Amino acid sequence: MTKRLYSLLIRFWFAAKMAGHGILANPLRSALTILGVAIGVTSVVSLMGIGEGARQAVVEQFESFGTNVIAIKAQDASVEFKPEEAEELVERVEGLEMATPVVNTKAVMRWRRARGYVNVIGVNSQFPQIRDHDVIAGHFFTRWHVMQRSPVAVLGYNMAVGLMGGRSPVGQTISLNGETYRIVGVLAAKGSGKAEGIDDKVVIPYTTAQKIAEKRTVEEIWGKAASSKEADLVVVQLGRIYKRKLGLDQSAPTPVTTEVEGGPPEAMMKAGMVKTVMKPGGDRPKKPSIPGGEDLITITNLNQLVKEADKANRVMTLLLGGIAAVSLLVGGLGIMNIMLVAVTERTEEIGVRRALGAKQADLLIQFLLEALYVSGIGAVAGIVAGIWGLNVFERYGFETAVSFQAVKTAAVIAIGCGLLFGVYPAVSASSVPPVEALRRQ
Amino acid sequence: MALLELKGIARSYKTGQIKVDALKGIDISIEEGDFISIMGPSGSGKSTLLNIIGCLDKPTSGTYEIAGRRVEKMTDGQLADIRNRLIGFVFQSFHLLPDLDAQANVELPLIYRGISGRERRKRAIAALESVGLGDRLHHLPSQLSGGEQQRVAIARAIVGDPAVILADEPTGALDSRSGENIMSIFRDLNHNQGKTIVQVTHEKSVARYGHKIFHLLDGEIERIEVVNDSISQEVRVK
Repeated sequence: MTKRLYSLLIRFWFAAKMAGHGILANPLRSALTILGVAIGVTSVVSLMGIGEGARQAVVEQFESFGTNVIAIKAQDASVEFKPEEAEELVERVEGLEMATPVVNTKAVMRWRRARGYVNVIGVNSQFPQIRDHDVIAGHFFTRWHVMQRSPVAVLGYNMAVGLMGGRSPVGQTISLNGETYRIVGVLAAKGSGKAEGIDDKVVIPYTTAQKIAEKRTVEEIWGKAASSKEADLVVVQLGRIYKRKLGLDQSAPTPVTTEVEGGPPEAMMKAGMVKTVMKPGGDRPKKPSIPGGEDLITITNLNQLVKEADKANRVMTLLLGGIAAVSLLVGGLGIMNIMLVAVTERTEEIGVRRALGAKQADLLIQFLLEALYVSGIGAVAGIVAGIWGLNVFERYGFETAVSFQAVKTAAVIAIGCGLLFGVYPAVSASSVPPVEALRRQ
Repeated sequence: MALLELKGIARSYKTGQIKVDALKGIDISIEEGDFISIMGPSGSGKSTLLNIIGCLDKPTSGTYEIAGRRVEKMTDGQLADIRNRLIGFVFQSFHLLPDLDAQANVELPLIYRGISGRERRKRAIAALESVGLGDRLHHLPSQLSGGEQQRVAIARAIVGDPAVILADEPTGALDSRSGENIMSIFRDLNHNQGKTIVQVTHEKSVARYGHKIFHLLDGEIERIEVVNDSISQEVRVK
């Protein structure tokens, strides 16, 4: 038994060696075939890498907003939130852990002798937990600061570095619209363009920000759900609350058609509500809206945005990969073509081997391995070239990512092509009758 | 029991509508240690007969036993084994593999038998030395003369210690001196080592190296000539 296995091994090893001879016997032809496969693999790896890079960039962008964040945003000038609503919501909505009113405004900032416009964001003391910000120097302002409308500020990372050139600005003062603010802390960097550009902003209590913005209301509320599962439920509950509040739907809890003031829009809303109730945590963020009109407010589960962006980009990546796979297929056809030529050219060799005792399996394996070598070398070369190509793209400002999945897919497809397109020539080689093979010279 | 026993061997080909009978009922028995020559004009079926004896081709009808084993019903894989173990081929145009050196060419049958590297090398070198090519082990076929190539082919045929050596016009592509050299190797193999040899040739002088000459005509054995050193007796079959 072991002897038999051993002799099979010897024959396999020899077939592998002869397959190598087959490639080396015609180096130019083999090189061109390998090139065909390599180009296919390169395009799969690099195009999928570009797609994957774009996907990761978008996902990172959204992830920088924080996890399980829910944004309630007024989309129409007629809708405004009272700041107290944030705390009210935390009490009323199960699963909503924290919430902060948000005031976005601009102010003239003076620092020593320099002055200029800066973006100011007013929030309450829970802001760092809600949006997952770390404080790297000093501390964040407290509930007490908010209540007292204290003139304190926490700087975004870039802002802090810009002012003090790397030394901690905590304890220094800046002036916003002529009022003096004490700097109490600095936020950790999120990265350029991430988290709505927080790195370049000045964060102050929303009560103080309202003064700068000269208004009593806020246009946004950010909340944080306890978990991603809760986040979906929170969105549903918020949807119900705001619909009622805005007079869009009064029968919210029961998905039964009832007469409600408001006329035609109501029917559509009902449909929306049914969906919400039937499918809590459905895959679309809930948006109470007036049919035919603009959205009044949007309630967005940022987790959901991440997922959707991820999905959209995944589709794009697959599409790019699919296009590239066509060229890989062409490379595979090249293998088949060359192998068929090789089989015809080498009938004498086949005949001699058969006369000396080679079985069909010996020749089948030999020619199959030859095709596999070509596709294997092509795959490796293509992966190397593809990764190199991605580096070049990156230098020109593309977001790229070498995706292990793309490398794996390309390698599997290339070697699969080798097998698939090698089988027919190999079978035809092994099934030439020995007499025929020896006669054709 | 004869080493090779052919009974009523017929082989016909179909070319379109026409059926060609290449062999029409051949009965041959070849004893161990025989040296047989097969002669005949082209188209007489001598190559077809050799292919059938060599298990490269199967007869349309008739039975064929080699060393007591019935061949005509065997599968392709079994036939490959028979060729590998019982038969050594020498072809007119040598049929060496061009990108393997002499030693690797000689090792081929042993590889398909699954013999390990060291043993293979030992036997290949011995076989090449026995045909006087001990100093040409690592020459490629293209670096050898015709006569030398044919000697490599003979070494390849005997390296597996087969029951019978089949030679198809072994001197056909050689000049007369190389041809004589080749034939003396065959005679030596037969005389001193007791190898059974069957050769096809159309040269009378080459055929006379054998003990018997089978004359083929139109797919049938016309007569068997027994070579007796200088005098040859003719036996009429029909």
